[in-house]
Amino acid sequence: MDKSIEAIWKEGFLNEKSLVAPKINDLYNQKSIHLVDRMLRMFRINLIVILITAIVFPVIYYFLDALWQGLTASVLLLLTAWYNKRQIDRIKTLDQGSTSLDYLRSLDQWLRDILSKSEKIARFSYPLYLLIAISTIWSVWDKQGLTLKIHQKFPNLTVIGNIPLFLLIVAGIIVLLMFIFSAKIYKWEVRLMYGRVFGKLKETIAEMEKLKQ
Amino acid sequence: MKTATNQENERCYEETNRTKTNKVSTDFYQLSILPFAGIIIKICRAYTNSQEDFEDYYQEVCLQIWRSRDNFCQQCEWSTWVYRISINVCLTLLKRKKKDGKTYFTSDALPDVMLIENNAFEDESLNLLYAAIRHLSEVDRALILLYLDEKSYQEIADVLNTNANNIGVRVNRIKERLKKILHG
Repeated sequence: MDKSIEAIWKEGFLNEKSLVAPKINDLYNQKSIHLVDRMLRMFRINLIVILITAIVFPVIYYFLDALWQGLTASVLLLLTAWYNKRQIDRIKTLDQGSTSLDYLRSLDQWLRDILSKSEKIARFSYPLYLLIAISTIWSVWDKQGLTLKIHQKFPNLTVIGNIPLFLLIVAGIIVLLMFIFSAKIYKWEVRLMYGRVFGKLKETIAEMEKLKQ
Repeated sequence: MKTATNQENERCYEETNRTKTNKVSTDFYQLSILPFAGIIIKICRAYTNSQEDFEDYYQEVCLQIWRSRDNFCQQCEWSTWVYRISINVCLTLLKRKKKDGKTYFTSDALPDVMLIENNAFEDESLNLLYAAIRHLSEVDRALILLYLDEKSYQEIADVLNTNANNIGVRVNRIKERLKKILHG
């Protein structure tokens, strides 16, 4: 063999097009697996974060001297985690169909259902979280003697259960606003967290549908 | 200097992009991977010893190219991107396999089994050259493949994420070793 390695290479690949690429039978199945795995991983991480927050909240609130509010927030978070876990488990019952496209379609439908349900839940849970936050702030201020100062400065102020009426009205308006905008906030949150992967799902379905045609 | 095939591939990729602008969804494999299959085949062959492994590596490279398509920025050519991913995937898969045993040899004698299992190309000299290339370390294999595909030292350095300065010296050293392996 006297030829240089460059010559061997050039001659060997004179007709590069004659190289036969192995058949890719499973590329789209692999893509689907990758996508679903990624989505599930994100859901699980989200679930873990909720659980950690549910544990940490009462501790923080304890030091803020607002343990009850902390426990309420924790219970709410635990309920959210329980609901999310149930939804994630439902993935296993999804229609596997005969192809990965069928599976991705049912996954997409499942996501739509979850988002629509979670949006309804968010309408009530978000104002509740806000109410807890307002209550905590008030509780901390109250312990610092703010209520007493308000009473001394405005002795004629209407008070309900030691809380000035105007403060209750302000809190009520804030909670109402939260109730109105909670769906939008939820959608924004979901877009921020999962937007990319949801977009990929739609893109893959579109790509596979095109291929099927 | 680019080969005619590479230039043709680049044109093909540009056409792909144009098509993509017009159509929302296209078959990524057919349009963006298949025209560059030559690159992937050349690299995967250098890192595998059997047809089975080769097909696995090829599939994994295709999958990774699809996965990383959003990370592709126009700073480099699509073919360079394909080279980079192919080499990285092969190195990763080889690393996994390394746990089971050695993947390259320090001696300069070609084991017969490799010659028998790797008649992947019609050209017998090319099969021997590949068997010799498989004798090299993982990075040296990547380097010589890029060199043989007429990539500039700078392009080789870009793909391998290294300095272009010592590429020439290293290529000469690898060529010497290949000659030694091939000619005995």
